[in-house]
Amino acid sequence: MMNEIVLEVKNLKTHFISNKGTAKAVDGIDFVLRKGETLGIVGESGCGKSMTSLSILRLIPSPPGKFVDGEVLLNGKDLVKMSNEELRKIRGNQISMIFQEPMTSLNPVIPVGEQIAEALRLHQGLSRKQAWDKSVEMIRLVGIPSPEKRAKQEPFQLSGGMRQRIMIAMALACTPEVLIADEPTTALDVTIQAQILEIMKDLQRKIGMGIIFITHDLGVVAEMCDQVGVMYAGQIVEHRDAKDIFNNPLHPYTQGLIGSLPKLYEDQEELQIIEGTVPSPYDYPEGCRFAERCPFSTDICVQKEPSLIQYGDNAKVRCWKYTNEWQDSLAKEVLKS
Amino acid sequence: MFLFIIKRLLQIVPVILGVTLVVFLIMQMVPGDSAVILAGEGASKETVEQLRVDLGLNKPMHEQYISYISNVVQGDLGNSLKNNQPVLDEILIRLPITMELAFFSILITVVLGLIAGIISAVRPYSYSDIGVMVVALLGISLPSFWLGILLMYVFSIKLQWLPVAGWDSTAHIILPAITLGAGGAAIVARMTRSSMLEVVGQDYIRTAKAKGLAEHVIIYKHALRNALIPVITVVGLQFGSLLGGTVLVESVFAINGLGRMIVDAIRTRDIPMVQGGVLVASLVFVFVNLLVDTMYRVFNKRIDLN
Repeated sequence: MMNEIVLEVKNLKTHFISNKGTAKAVDGIDFVLRKGETLGIVGESGCGKSMTSLSILRLIPSPPGKFVDGEVLLNGKDLVKMSNEELRKIRGNQISMIFQEPMTSLNPVIPVGEQIAEALRLHQGLSRKQAWDKSVEMIRLVGIPSPEKRAKQEPFQLSGGMRQRIMIAMALACTPEVLIADEPTTALDVTIQAQILEIMKDLQRKIGMGIIFITHDLGVVAEMCDQVGVMYAGQIVEHRDAKDIFNNPLHPYTQGLIGSLPKLYEDQEELQIIEGTVPSPYDYPEGCRFAERCPFSTDICVQKEPSLIQYGDNAKVRCWKYTNEWQDSLAKEVLKS
Repeated sequence: MFLFIIKRLLQIVPVILGVTLVVFLIMQMVPGDSAVILAGEGASKETVEQLRVDLGLNKPMHEQYISYISNVVQGDLGNSLKNNQPVLDEILIRLPITMELAFFSILITVVLGLIAGIISAVRPYSYSDIGVMVVALLGISLPSFWLGILLMYVFSIKLQWLPVAGWDSTAHIILPAITLGAGGAAIVARMTRSSMLEVVGQDYIRTAKAKGLAEHVIIYKHALRNALIPVITVVGLQFGSLLGGTVLVESVFAINGLGRMIVDAIRTRDIPMVQGGVLVASLVFVFVNLLVDTMYRVFNKRIDLN
């Protein structure tokens, strides 16, 4: 049961078209999410994590956003090909989302209970009374005290942590198969963050949903995820079991990320950094997008874009370093000098 | 809420005092002597002087003002200089007409403006949006007296669908109400559009979409309620200029409303009439503002009225 695939994303490409040109925000993302599994997607700001998550439910504002290519298969059915009406039956029902900004993601003039209840009425055909009761129950489930009273309140009467719990309650009300959590704890302080993560894990155990957890926080990845996809410049550069990625990162970018974490038992004057900056999404280099910043870069890295290759049994990496071509290229460089 | 309304009602007192003082001073400063105008051309000096004494116009300004205020408090707005009839009686005849006109005009402003604004905002930069906004721009730019005459020419004279002027039947209300409400409708349409467009870009609209709600639910339940908050402000402000607009529209359509009464009174330097009219108009305005502020609270509980 644990191995059943719920969501499969193949070659997803979402671009933004503006006067400045075409920004390849999401540029060929592949991943698989299994039932009850948590897939972390990590990467720095602007690498396309959020755009990936919004693309799955076709929530990218268009224009300027444009779906270019790919498939999003939910239990084998392609969301990309669905009509808006069909897709609406999936949004908030089979696939739910939690957003990064709890302060602004709730409607300021509608009581929070109603904001949860409306999805229940829509997707589960509950009556007003039933939906309200279930909504209060959900608020209780995410650990907000006196839920009957809170349900009637509007978002401004709730703290940030409570609002994010409301978002979680809203997302989970219809017991979705997939939950997309886009940096759900970034805006919250650390103690609240731990509580929210605990609630999510707990509910995942109860419902058995797959979670796509988008974050830039490697600590949260360690805490939450089974699988990790590391994103860089609109692509996944490494896909691993979460436990492996910290011990043995493959991609030089991942190595840089892990290396830049402060270490608890070492005396460090300065933290490691990754030199250089992310290339502009309007103008990606021809070869590997990380080549410019990579300490292992050779001719082939600059000339040809690497593909996501299988490494061992359960790892994938987008890097020439793990190919024979790279060895050849390196050898040539050594010979030249 | 209750406390808020009481507080606001008390605030009316200084407002009214201010209004009467300003109007009183302005009427003192404008050229033209009411005694002379009243006595008519060719009246002797003695007659004019006698009139001045009879009307109390010979007393010092502050005495005139104080006696006026103390009368107002007792519900006596004085008598018209023209026909010596109580000003209040005249106002009570005229006010309902103007209020009716104002009501239907504001109805047009709100209903037409909201519908047009929503049509525009739902498909921004589409042909329907551009069309609506061009019409709205016209609505703002056209002066109401010109629009009134134009409407009169087309619908009353050419098509003969509606009466030209006067105030006898429901049909008489239509053209003046459109004339008076059009400018406001245009402003409300533009405000609704920009407010809706801003709201539609908010995170909570994305949340509503992610929930699987249909577009009309998102627009009418989630977006419109938030977008209405600035629109209410505009409607409230619009009511003020609408009251001013009645002066023109009542003149164009020959309606015997409060606006026209004030204009006529100014022309004949009928000071008590002017003061009474302006006083009542400002009272109406103050009450409408109170209503608007109370409505904020209904639409947005974040606003703490106290």
